[in-house]
Amino acid sequence: MTSMRHGSEYSRDLPRVNVLSRSQYENSTDNFSFEPEPELAYSLPSTFHLLDRPYSHGFSNVSEGFIQRHNRRPSDEISVTSSSPFEMDPVCREEKDLVGNLASMSTSERIKAIQKMPETMKKKREIRNKVLKEITKKTRHHSTRLSRCTQCLQGTAVLFRRFGNSLSEYSHLLQLWHKTLKIIGAKFGTSVLSYFIFLKWLLTFNMFSFLINFSFIIIPQFFAAEPNNLSFTGLELFTGAGYFQQTVLYYGFYTNATISKIENGPPYNMQLAYIFTVGIYFVICFLILLFSMAKSFCRNFINPQTYSGNASKLLCTWDFNITNEKAVKLKQKNLGTQIKEGLTEVNQEVLYFSVTERVERIVIHLVSWVASLGTAVAACAGVYFLSINNLKLFVKGHKNDLEGQAAMLVLPVVVSLLNAFIPFFYSWLGHLERFQTPGYQIYIAITRNIILKISIVGILCYYWLNIVATSESQCWETLVGQDIYRLVLVDFAFCLLGSFFGEFLRRIIGTTVCVSLGLPEFDIGRNVLDLIYAQTLTWIGILFSPLLPGIQMISFSIVFYVKKVSLMMNCQPPRKVWRTAQMTTSFMFLLFFPSFLGVLSVIGVTVWRLKPSEGCGPFRGLSSMYAAVSEWIKILENYTASKWVVWIYHNLITSELFFFILSVIILIITYLYWQIIEGRKTMTKLLRKQIINVSLTFSFILFF
Amino acid sequence: MGNKQTIFTPEQLDAYQDCTFFTRKEILRLFYRYRDLAPQLVPLDYTDKPDVTLPYELIGSMPELKDNPFRQRIAEVFSEDGGGNMTLDDFLDMFSVLSEMAPRDLKAYYAFKIYDFNNDDYICKSDLEKTVNKLTRNELTPEEVSLVCEKVIYEADADNDGKLSLEDFQRMIIRAPDFLSTFHIRI
Repeated sequence: MTSMRHGSEYSRDLPRVNVLSRSQYENSTDNFSFEPEPELAYSLPSTFHLLDRPYSHGFSNVSEGFIQRHNRRPSDEISVTSSSPFEMDPVCREEKDLVGNLASMSTSERIKAIQKMPETMKKKREIRNKVLKEITKKTRHHSTRLSRCTQCLQGTAVLFRRFGNSLSEYSHLLQLWHKTLKIIGAKFGTSVLSYFIFLKWLLTFNMFSFLINFSFIIIPQFFAAEPNNLSFTGLELFTGAGYFQQTVLYYGFYTNATISKIENGPPYNMQLAYIFTVGIYFVICFLILLFSMAKSFCRNFINPQTYSGNASKLLCTWDFNITNEKAVKLKQKNLGTQIKEGLTEVNQEVLYFSVTERVERIVIHLVSWVASLGTAVAACAGVYFLSINNLKLFVKGHKNDLEGQAAMLVLPVVVSLLNAFIPFFYSWLGHLERFQTPGYQIYIAITRNIILKISIVGILCYYWLNIVATSESQCWETLVGQDIYRLVLVDFAFCLLGSFFGEFLRRIIGTTVCVSLGLPEFDIGRNVLDLIYAQTLTWIGILFSPLLPGIQMISFSIVFYVKKVSLMMNCQPPRKVWRTAQMTTSFMFLLFFPSFLGVLSVIGVTVWRLKPSEGCGPFRGLSSMYAAVSEWIKILENYTASKWVVWIYHNLITSELFFFILSVIILIITYLYWQIIEGRKTMTKLLRKQIINVSLTFSFILFF
Repeated sequence: MGNKQTIFTPEQLDAYQDCTFFTRKEILRLFYRYRDLAPQLVPLDYTDKPDVTLPYELIGSMPELKDNPFRQRIAEVFSEDGGGNMTLDDFLDMFSVLSEMAPRDLKAYYAFKIYDFNNDDYICKSDLEKTVNKLTRNELTPEEVSLVCEKVIYEADADNDGKLSLEDFQRMIIRAPDFLSTFHIRI
């Protein structure tokens, strides 16, 4: 027992012995002796290793064990290594294992593994060189056996990797606003930065849409353009009507013909181009949103119960992004205040209310919910009746005078006013309700805002699809496109005005007239919801106005700069805790679920159910927009070379059985994954209990 | 691939690319940032692997680090000699771990080392006290600091040895999804 070391040593060693036995690389942990082996002090497999990367589980154990022994300070290492004359130096043995494992991985996996190693650069380089030597040894050894084919494949793999590397370097050029984001993050921290990153992300959607619309729909249309006989007055920029009706801005201008300008060149079917461009864009958007959301959920596993821990607040939330001296001092002061508050209000969670107080609180909550839902319903009703009146104006005749043009703007202005002022009412209600935690208040306010915005967009869609589409106007798609154009424009104007009033004037008031208010803070929630609303409108409008993403692109860029300047000039860094990761995931989810899926349903109804107008647009004369595709398939049936396209269409795309089977398979897979996660949760609980038991047992034994 | 830079050999650049999360352009950009700290000390030719170490005072004066309360610990953790004096390798390593591409495990490992002031592979109470003082700029009284540290250890210590091990820290990280975005320095 002379080699017994301090108890803490064993609390790390022994649990390892029990728990890590399933890793195939733990060949040196089989000894149950009490010999001090500090160089083999592994870290336990972290729980999130189990969840995210099962294939590298064994490897990371080896590397971490390897690492803890090799401190970055070589002086410590010498005193700590124990030498055993009867076996190979465990250090060398492990390194050999590590190099062997790395050599047997594929190139990208190997690079990722080396990058992830928590070692000095020198050590990583050494290991990398050893691995490369090992690989060349292996390939030389096996080269006679490798066929031409495998060598060829390897050569192409290397080429692909080089190509990927150079691509990633050029994608660096596309990193817009890197310096600006750095400055914003430096002064205001990660929470405010998340708004600007979200804005940049939405901008890429619009850029992509504009590019493909421009290349596939707008440029061909220029070849088949009809002359524009309308006059241009400056007012059309605001109303979108008049001169713009006969331009590529709206659906109505597009031809339904097959364009063939080049002699003996392939004809360009505008109908198919239109529907396929829009369709493929939405499919790609869907995939991008789905994968981003999944990645975000994976990284920021939302578990609200375990969030508010003092430990994580202290050790894991210092924002290393903040590099502005004043901001750092402010943050330190805030943290100090929070810690002091946390110490004094020890039993804040355990608040007992008497029965009357509880009933009172429930009644207040109910009343405020009824009030907020009632306001939303009233707003919708108002918008609906206003839009019906609007339609009557259109159908009556084209009034090109100032009054007529101004009347067209009433609906968008009213919608934007409702979107701007009702949230103030909601936050006032939130103050009345006196929630227990401020985080809860933010959530409720955001939920109410979402309900308001969804209902307004919903009622507008209902109006467009049911009333405008079946009205007697000449070109209802262009009317819808004009409505959306005006809504987008007025929303943009209100966004700028909101910045001016909400931040600039508020700062003036807060510093001169009413000094107790102080500088305003950047309202992240409201601004992000405004962005989601604007993007929803753009997505709805793509089918009716293909140039709209380009307009939205410009407006988002202007909003970025205006918000940045306003932020720098007028706002102070946030004082309260804003759970950035959680909120970003929620906002991405909001963008996907009510926003994008809602847009998909609207587009779906438009394409499948509604009858396109007779006199304009690429689908004139057809019974539905989708009929263009079914007619094309009928034409393809006559050619034997494209029988497979027809087969796919009939058996996969239009067959309900296929989608039913697909849904069942997806549900089964989801259920299986869910069960695996539940099983792993139970496993981690058991392992944790084991750790505690073993360490307690050991400290118990030590004392006797 | 056609770059006419003469600072590194292609093998060196490849090695850097494989060992950090940076692309070639970023590595070169970081080299110039490193050199800007002391142009007379850092040569423009690294092909013969010169042994150049910049003292901590220069590293700590970088705009990205100069107001960070943990800048000394960051430099110490990533430097080879443990005193904050960094070679180019250490410099690249530091910003690679602090970049947004680094995975959570790696960041957690290094964050743990940063908060482990006495380098004993555990965050004990004295380490926590120093951390709290740095985080709040010595605003709290010693009793308050002690109380906070006790609370933290009570909450996070799973094997009841009175200090936080790497596993306890990693478990805490899971509950703080913001960690990935806050433990990040943009350069």
